[in-house]
Amino acid sequence: MSQPANAVRKKPVSMKKVILRLLLYFVVLDVCVITLYPYFAMLCTALKNRVEIFSGGTVLPVTALWSNFIDIWSKAPMAKYMLNSILIASGSTIIAMLCGIPAAYALARMKFRGQTAFLGFVIVSQMFAPVVLLIGIYQVMMQLGLTDSLLGLVFINAAFNQAFTIWLLRGTFMGISAEMEQAATIDGCNRVQSMMRVLLPVAAPGIVTTLIFIFINAWNEYTVALVLISTDTLKPLTVGINIFNGYNIIEWQYLFAASIFAIIPVVILFMCIEKNLVSGLASGGVKG
Amino acid sequence: MSTKTPAAPAKAPTAKHSQKEPRLPNPSSKKLFRTVEPYIWIAPSIILMAIFIVTPIFKVFQLSMSKVTRAGQLKGFNNFENFTKVLKSPAFSLVLKNTIVWTIAVVIISTVLGFILALILNNKFHGRKIARAIVVFPWATTLVIQASVWNFIINKDYGTLNTLLMKFGLISAPVNWTPNPTAYFAWEIACGIFVTIPFVTFCVLSGLQSIDSSYYEAATVDGAGYFQKLFNITLPLVKSSLTVSTVLNIIYVFNSFPIIWTMTKGDPANRTDTLVTYLYKLAFYNGKQGEASAVSVIGFIILLMCASVYMVYTLRKGDDDL
Repeated sequence: MSQPANAVRKKPVSMKKVILRLLLYFVVLDVCVITLYPYFAMLCTALKNRVEIFSGGTVLPVTALWSNFIDIWSKAPMAKYMLNSILIASGSTIIAMLCGIPAAYALARMKFRGQTAFLGFVIVSQMFAPVVLLIGIYQVMMQLGLTDSLLGLVFINAAFNQAFTIWLLRGTFMGISAEMEQAATIDGCNRVQSMMRVLLPVAAPGIVTTLIFIFINAWNEYTVALVLISTDTLKPLTVGINIFNGYNIIEWQYLFAASIFAIIPVVILFMCIEKNLVSGLASGGVKG
Repeated sequence: MSTKTPAAPAKAPTAKHSQKEPRLPNPSSKKLFRTVEPYIWIAPSIILMAIFIVTPIFKVFQLSMSKVTRAGQLKGFNNFENFTKVLKSPAFSLVLKNTIVWTIAVVIISTVLGFILALILNNKFHGRKIARAIVVFPWATTLVIQASVWNFIINKDYGTLNTLLMKFGLISAPVNWTPNPTAYFAWEIACGIFVTIPFVTFCVLSGLQSIDSSYYEAATVDGAGYFQKLFNITLPLVKSSLTVSTVLNIIYVFNSFPIIWTMTKGDPANRTDTLVTYLYKLAFYNGKQGEASAVSVIGFIILLMCASVYMVYTLRKGDDDL
């Protein structure tokens, strides 16, 4: 099934091929329907009223209640949550890139003692997910006075995304020939200048991919924010929307309306980088 | 593992001085700058990770071996009492078993399904781009929201799964999809698989796309069947992509918190707890930070075994390339 389709077209169409093709479309369609189903259920529920949700029995809303999407902004500090998510995600991205680009550059362009050890540490650091370190993180943040602050989350997200940043960027940089930079150096540029003017513009697609990937990770982060943030108006969307998910009563329509606001930007960003991200991951992995 | 790296930031300050005078014709200072320069470049990254990853790691190890008050103050070494307490507690073996079942089930099933899906999506067909965009959705969506939706879908009173099945006439009365904790845990695993498949699929797809189609043409000429080609060409060539995705998935799934936390909070009575939800409750609900840290350390040790396999693999691979 993996051979290119143009090779198939030249031959006369056999019954077996037709059936295989139909089967292929059938499976792909099923996969898409199953994948989209939760989102469909989310949207339908977000458009219903409470009574209709809890009585069950309907798939589509009887009348679409678009006002739910407006109500959430007054029922909860949604605008604050949204702003916090944007601040955390952008801040984390900026710091992760500022620290990650030089490190990836050094790994890709220089030889130094401890290079393998550093790379090994970067790989191993992926093993320590923030969740297993929560207690340690909490204690460190207490000492730094960064609990219950957006800045604390920015640093944590940036640090835990270093591995991916360095991994993806190192792969990108290594895929670009160093000749241009060497030429720039001969023309009198120093390393910083040759990196900024020559390498980074060429590496732009890889850099954008990395940037968006960190942004998404930070935007979707839940556990550390859950532990570190106690003030309601400092919560990001992932934690904040659970205001509708109370102990006694769950306001499903508001929860899902708010969730849709949290999902849309990320899904769009993800679709932009999907192709580059995957080849980046693979090249980083293969070049090890 | 990180024994050599802490030395690097210490070298950074000396490097800064020499950076001010790089134009000096003195060859020895230039040479010195050359040797320390890489460490300046990696210093910001190392400092960031040292403060926010390495220090918490040390803290967790320190806490796991200390007597800790409810307020989080350390009261000295306590003879691994936290570990013995954790290991003796009846909940722990259940939690450990859950964690292993959770990790293995999610990783293996999503790897197999993700691999098959990648083979399907690698064909040329109309709407392939749309299909690939759709498959990305669960990867991009935050786990808390995914888990909330699945929780809603399988609800026995008003969930849409029952509604749909009744509309299609497949069932006549609402089914209780979660009659016991085991069933709920199975749903959590299903949700975990659902969100993990896209990552596997895209890792494998990237591997598949780098395979030269001439291999398949040659094999076809030689009369190889579909499965012969699959096992003799495709599998060996995507092996590295599969290894990367599997190892990363073991780590992510093992450490996955939001799905279980959103769906059951590990209840009832630890029946759906994994190590991470268990340690979260120990630390932040029961104020037993020492014991929770011991659970963390046990988790590290298990994962370290997996990570060392990965490191040996990737670093050796790097040597081959040189």
